Amino acid sequence: MSEKLTRTQQKNLEKFGGVNPADQPFSRRQFAAQVGGYALAAGAAVGAGALIRDPWGMEGVKPPPPVRLKDYSIALGVGRPNVVVVRSQSIRAEDHASREEELKAREDQALAMVKAALETMGGVEHFIRPGDVVVIKPNVAFDKNPDLAATTQPDTVAAVTRLCLGHGARKVIVADNPINNPESCFYKTKVGEAAVRAGAELMLPKDSYFEDLYVGGETIVGTWRMFYRPFREATKVIGISPVKDHNLCKATVTMKNWYGLLGNPRNQFHQNIHGIISDFALMMKPTLVIADGRKLLMRNGPTGGSLNDVKRGDTMVVGTDHTSVDSWCVSKLLEKPRDQIIYLDKVIARGLGRDWRPEWTQEITV
Amino acid sequence: MVKIRRAYEVLFLGLFLFFLVITDLRYLKGWPVSLFLEATPLVAVATALTTHTIYRNLVWGLFIIAVTMMLGRVWCNWMCPFGILHHFFGWIGNRRNTKQMIEVNRYRKIYALKYYILAVMLVMAAFWVVPTAIDAPTEIWHTYNGVELSQTGVSRVFAAIGTGISRAAEEHKRGGSTLQIGLLDPIALTVRSMTTSVLPTVHNATESIYTEPREYWQAWVVGLIFLGFLLANWWIPRFFCRAICPLGALLGVFSRFALWRIDRDPVRCTDCDLCLKSCEGASDPHTDLRKSECFVCLNCIEDCPHDALSFRFLPRRASEVTNPAVGRRELVLAGLFGVFFFPMARLSGGVKKNWQRGVIRPPGSVAEDEFLRRCIKCDQCIRVCPTNVLQPALFEAGLEGLWTPIMISKMGWCELNCTLCSQVCPTGAIREISIVEKLGIGPFEGKGPVKTGTAFYNQGRCLPWAMDTSCVVCEEVCPVSPKAIFTRNVEVTDRWGATIQLKRPFIDPVKCIGCGICEHECPVKDDPAVYVTAIGESRSKERSLLLSLVEGEGQEWVSV
Repeated sequence: MSEKLTRTQQKNLEKFGGVNPADQPFSRRQFAAQVGGYALAAGAAVGAGALIRDPWGMEGVKPPPPVRLKDYSIALGVGRPNVVVVRSQSIRAEDHASREEELKAREDQALAMVKAALETMGGVEHFIRPGDVVVIKPNVAFDKNPDLAATTQPDTVAAVTRLCLGHGARKVIVADNPINNPESCFYKTKVGEAAVRAGAELMLPKDSYFEDLYVGGETIVGTWRMFYRPFREATKVIGISPVKDHNLCKATVTMKNWYGLLGNPRNQFHQNIHGIISDFALMMKPTLVIADGRKLLMRNGPTGGSLNDVKRGDTMVVGTDHTSVDSWCVSKLLEKPRDQIIYLDKVIARGLGRDWRPEWTQEITV
Repeated sequence: MVKIRRAYEVLFLGLFLFFLVITDLRYLKGWPVSLFLEATPLVAVATALTTHTIYRNLVWGLFIIAVTMMLGRVWCNWMCPFGILHHFFGWIGNRRNTKQMIEVNRYRKIYALKYYILAVMLVMAAFWVVPTAIDAPTEIWHTYNGVELSQTGVSRVFAAIGTGISRAAEEHKRGGSTLQIGLLDPIALTVRSMTTSVLPTVHNATESIYTEPREYWQAWVVGLIFLGFLLANWWIPRFFCRAICPLGALLGVFSRFALWRIDRDPVRCTDCDLCLKSCEGASDPHTDLRKSECFVCLNCIEDCPHDALSFRFLPRRASEVTNPAVGRRELVLAGLFGVFFFPMARLSGGVKKNWQRGVIRPPGSVAEDEFLRRCIKCDQCIRVCPTNVLQPALFEAGLEGLWTPIMISKMGWCELNCTLCSQVCPTGAIREISIVEKLGIGPFEGKGPVKTGTAFYNQGRCLPWAMDTSCVVCEEVCPVSPKAIFTRNVEVTDRWGATIQLKRPFIDPVKCIGCGICEHECPVKDDPAVYVTAIGESRSKERSLLLSLVEGEGQEWVSV
């Protein structure tokens, strides 16, 4: 130290043993550590920032690429009918000792009917292969008792589940996004309990289970939120629907059933109901559709609510083409003029399905 | 050196005020008026957490980070306009003697508070990490077993981990965080306070800022907080900067790397503590320097009677406190608070289900969830809006939406050929749109105009509907072509038996863009007979009204 120090400062210097630590130049090691550290840290910060820079400005709001649904349909063998109408006897409560027995009989009947239909169409194994993951889409839109016929019958869901698992399916997923509260709907329509009892996995529509689905149709021109999670691993899709009246589109059968896979704000589709239902023929190519016409909701649809609205049909319509199945059901079961069902005409005009024809339809009785 | 710093302070505060004043249709031209907002690194870091991108000019923040990592928190005392204002107010209010000044500038434990504030805000901005961490293993598993990866063996594992995590993060980004740094970011706070309370007040006295006087909804709250922070300097100098400022905390963390810092020569130093007299940061230059607290004001060098202090390159590491003095437990507590508070705020309604009809966002705004992850409440859009329609929300948009811009049509209307708010927005909460895009013409013909809401009639209050009186001012001012407001002629018998002709107005919801000029011009002033609500806004599918408008490829990338 060259300049003159005060007494205090000299004392300080002595404390340090005569060497002022502040006079020490920085070591090579310190230089490397600090300057190198700075270069690394600053470089990393600026580099990472530059890497995620969004010069366009909207990179961050680009939605992920939409998902697409596979084609789940199975080609029929030559000469096989694409619609099979299965009729059966009514199951009456008075014929059975208890409610349980009656329900058992119903489920056995449903199983027999679906099985007979599939045998006619080429055998169950033609549609369900070992290892398949089958998604069953019932219509449980409302939290109503199944006897009111506004929702899919639980015994049909249980029967189809058993049929699939019996033919080696790895998993059966039962999924729907109802209008009423999902838990209530699956509980009160008894579909949830029936599915689980038969060995299916019940999938309720959680928020994160929805993805943007590309449809590219007439009403959904681009994409729409869809309850896609069950379809991630699906190899087969079976729609099981009630046969019922609808206030706006006149009839809800298997094609309208797919509405229940869409997310909100789906109520806007009532602004073009026929357009949207015809889009379902483009969106979904199911393996099978089953119209459960053992009970029919003839009026006050789609909610129903009175047994006076319900009529016995004792018929199950199974097919590979939802257009043909629906067309048969509205005219033969719901007894509606076919020309009221505009969405079916739209589907046919768009070449997405074919109307039913006697030569492709077979009626059997079990 | 101190003189140079003062010159910088004058320069940057002047530049800030200059930009503030010229954020006006008449003077805007091409000036980068949002430069200060874009330069605050807190905005860059926090929006990177919420959006996983750095929006356009926010890269200026990276530059400030790099400077801080080299020189320390020079930002705080050389560039930050709020810091400079605090410096100035502290100077005005200083009536202490030297002894008192030394005591008031010693470090206090409470100055660690800013780090906890920063932690809470960043945790809320990064909340998506929680669901991502939960979901990542499944995503990794699916990616590994999926078909899209081409690698095999070990590289497949690594690729699956990378892709899986980024997928999970991308999926949970939506709805997974909120941006609240704007509440206390000094630049956002200053711009907001100036815009909504100081400038209107100045105009009230001088008629110098606007053509028409401005009113801002409950701006006194903003103004009072601003004044409160400025006046706090009288009791604790730089109270905001030392104890509150989350940007200061962020820079404090980065300043640990600084290559230059204040260094005390322990031999020359006689422990007189005079260096504390004017220490802005309370960074203890009289002993081992608290590197994270030093504002690099350099006052201590000037004040030292023995030349014991210097601003040195790579001084001894032993004579500094490198990292901020924060408690680990307190940090964890702050983090936990953030983890719980964001969902509590989001799930209080107002964003997803019970969203309010009055939350009408300016044209170009991204969907609400994304908006809340981008808006820093700087209210620069409100500053530039020529009609006063843009207003700072209180709790209309939920707690998270405090002071975010909404349109209150009684205050003004959205000018048809104007997109200024979208041009000054520093973070893309209002994405930059052109007039052509706003109007839905030219290349945007297929997509249609940007709609901010839809107008409705309250027929019980409308003159031709309820009071047999001709009016239809609303039809006159409706700016779109063809007009969204049309009339039907009716012939009615009035109460005296005479037959009168009336034009009764209707809304065409396809044409209405929600600009609100009908509501603003309606003669039924207190509760207009025609009013706009947010439904039908084109920024998100969930809030659309008409099926015929919601679809179309062009809209896909704005709706989130």
